[in-house]
Amino acid sequence: MADKVYDVIVVGTGAGGMAAKTLCEARATVLALNPGRRVEPAKDFQNHRQPYNMKFRGFGDPRVPRYHDEREYTVGLWEHDITYVNAPGTNWEWLRVKVTGGKCNFWGRSSPRFGDIDFKAASLDGFDVDWPVTYEEIAPYYSRVERYVGIASTVQNRPSNPDGEYIPPMPFRCHDYILQQGAEKVGVPYLPDRIAQLTQPHGGHPACHYCGNCSSGCDSGSFFSPTWFTIPDAEKTGRLELRTNAIVKNVLVDENGQAKGVAYIDRDSKQEVEVYAKAVVLAASCLETTHIMLNSKSRHWPTGIANSSGQLGKNLCDHLYGNSAYGYLPQLLGQPPRPDNISDSTVVWMPRWQNLRNPHEERFIRGYSVYPGGGCGGFPGYYRQLEGYGSDFKKNIRRYYPTPVGFTIQAPSLPSPANYLDIDPEVKDIFGIPALRFHFQWGPNELMMWEHSKHVCEEVLRAAGGEYWGAAKQPETCGFSQHETGPCRFGNDPKRFVTNRWGQTHDVKNLYICDASIFPYCTDKTTTISILTFTLRTCEYLIENLRRGEHGA
Amino acid sequence: MAGQSVERREILQLVAFAAAAAGFPGFRRWTFACGHLDAAVLPPRPASGAYQPLFFTPNEYAIVERLAEMIIPSSDGPGAREAGVSEFIDFMMASDPNLQPTFRYGVDWLDGHSHFLYAKPFLGLDAEQQTDILDHLAYYDRHRAEEEDGRAFFQLMKEWTVKGYYTSKVGLEQIGYPGLTTVWGEYDPCPHRDDREHKHLPPPQI
Repeated sequence: MADKVYDVIVVGTGAGGMAAKTLCEARATVLALNPGRRVEPAKDFQNHRQPYNMKFRGFGDPRVPRYHDEREYTVGLWEHDITYVNAPGTNWEWLRVKVTGGKCNFWGRSSPRFGDIDFKAASLDGFDVDWPVTYEEIAPYYSRVERYVGIASTVQNRPSNPDGEYIPPMPFRCHDYILQQGAEKVGVPYLPDRIAQLTQPHGGHPACHYCGNCSSGCDSGSFFSPTWFTIPDAEKTGRLELRTNAIVKNVLVDENGQAKGVAYIDRDSKQEVEVYAKAVVLAASCLETTHIMLNSKSRHWPTGIANSSGQLGKNLCDHLYGNSAYGYLPQLLGQPPRPDNISDSTVVWMPRWQNLRNPHEERFIRGYSVYPGGGCGGFPGYYRQLEGYGSDFKKNIRRYYPTPVGFTIQAPSLPSPANYLDIDPEVKDIFGIPALRFHFQWGPNELMMWEHSKHVCEEVLRAAGGEYWGAAKQPETCGFSQHETGPCRFGNDPKRFVTNRWGQTHDVKNLYICDASIFPYCTDKTTTISILTFTLRTCEYLIENLRRGEHGA
Repeated sequence: MAGQSVERREILQLVAFAAAAAGFPGFRRWTFACGHLDAAVLPPRPASGAYQPLFFTPNEYAIVERLAEMIIPSSDGPGAREAGVSEFIDFMMASDPNLQPTFRYGVDWLDGHSHFLYAKPFLGLDAEQQTDILDHLAYYDRHRAEEEDGRAFFQLMKEWTVKGYYTSKVGLEQIGYPGLTTVWGEYDPCPHRDDREHKHLPPPQI
């Protein structure tokens, strides 16, 4: 019996799960491969358990290595078997969730649109390359994704941030109004964030119940995740086959070097399995997609599939994250506790305000955004600021409970020849797959943004009448944000870019990429909503090509 | 009797607590510091009643217990003692081989220092003497030379006391942690929108 040939194989079920949904709904037969088991919300999401019901109070077992985002509540869902290597001088933390839905089960939910200020940045400031798309052609796809996902925000008319189609925003908390006054005095924006979290029932999904534990997964599907949205939608069509514990190793090619399927390792049996399709979509996340492509070496592609440009793995970018300022608001000392963080959301943001009138206003180019936070939370981490012990200390913890505030910067690194991915020549994981190796350091542009943000955020805090406690001594580890972009950049010139304007590789016409690896750099905005948007567009293009017989009969 | 006066969902909650507690090693006090829960749902305590430390020696454990209750005392409501903080610290230290030498050294330093200053073990001092030792470690303007190790230990002990207390039920109740209400149903925004600068709030409660 001949092996089954699917219309499309989709590698990964995270944000790229949008691919499986889009393709299945367009009547394609799809095989989706996921490296771990299927997530079971009722069992795996322990979001309604209080810390005192957890064995290690939510701190986790100190003997078990965990990623910074891997909480006791989600232990076991993360990937630790697929090794990676940091080149000397690099300190990258590569976080991955192996169950279906991936990191999107616990994502941060901030969902701004990219705009022409991002797409045409090179034309504005002369650095690097423009994106091969315009906002005008992408905007309708954003609208369709926003209508599907449900984004809570407001229309803000800012040059850096195109507005979309929104459900009602998360309302401000006490400290938001206070900090907003400070921001106004300093002349920087302080506005509702765009959040993929349902402030009202939407598209058959219930409104948020505000348990405040989104980072442990949602048991009611009240924010977008593949687990509650794209995977069930794809399965409803009857055209999706979802294979779990399938760790994709490489793309298989035919005698012309075109994709004919993929090879994966079954996690349990450790056996290698081959599956075939007319077209392959890699939606495994920016880094894992690149890992797979670099490992897809053949006679046609000696340095990795679709790498005639030599750009595969290059141009790695990341968001620099860090606590730019923290302190407290004396106005709120001793006030009764308020449910400030029951949405577990960013609620507000300070969207990019730098280099808007003139791309060279600042000493750095481009711009960053800031996420303020504060108010009553869970654990009173501000205890470190309170001297002493005893009954006064205990009383002070209660007095300060509503007051702490902080600012997190999100600054894009610029592409640099020093920042790239390759395959370690020696190290392999337990499945025999050669390991991805990271070469990455922050550059001067993003570090100038970091310094800049520390000054501005301190100013905002003080202008709001707040007391300044300090700033982080250094930014978070590279990889912390999980917003990396760049190693499969899209662009019109096949000699300079891995993928074309549709996310299709220039070299291998039936190989498509549906994740952030195609974005030339990070921008000041988060990536998930744009991954969904570009995935929708890429998959509709793929369907047209299938219908026209471009990928075989 | 308890079963008749409590609503079904509360009973289910109690059972869930008990199930969680059953997975924990031998805790007495910190298991939620709920008398009714103890009596109604948990298996009866062994006759001896005393907590058997997993990591600390009995003397070390008693020092940890005393320090925890000095850091978060039972004033204005339950403190570290009622929250079983020392049991939590013992359990976490038993689970964390990397931290064990540091923590143990700190406890032993304190006992040794007590001998040095007063020729008595720490637990043999009166409350005033114990407070005096801690004050020198805790307050910047009272720091003394050659007590760096003690200051480092005090910060560590304070950190773990805070961690243990404010992840316990009584501790979270003390600060009024909103997340103790598991499901809010709707968002509860700032109620002072006509006073955005928050300059005219009612006088502080604390």
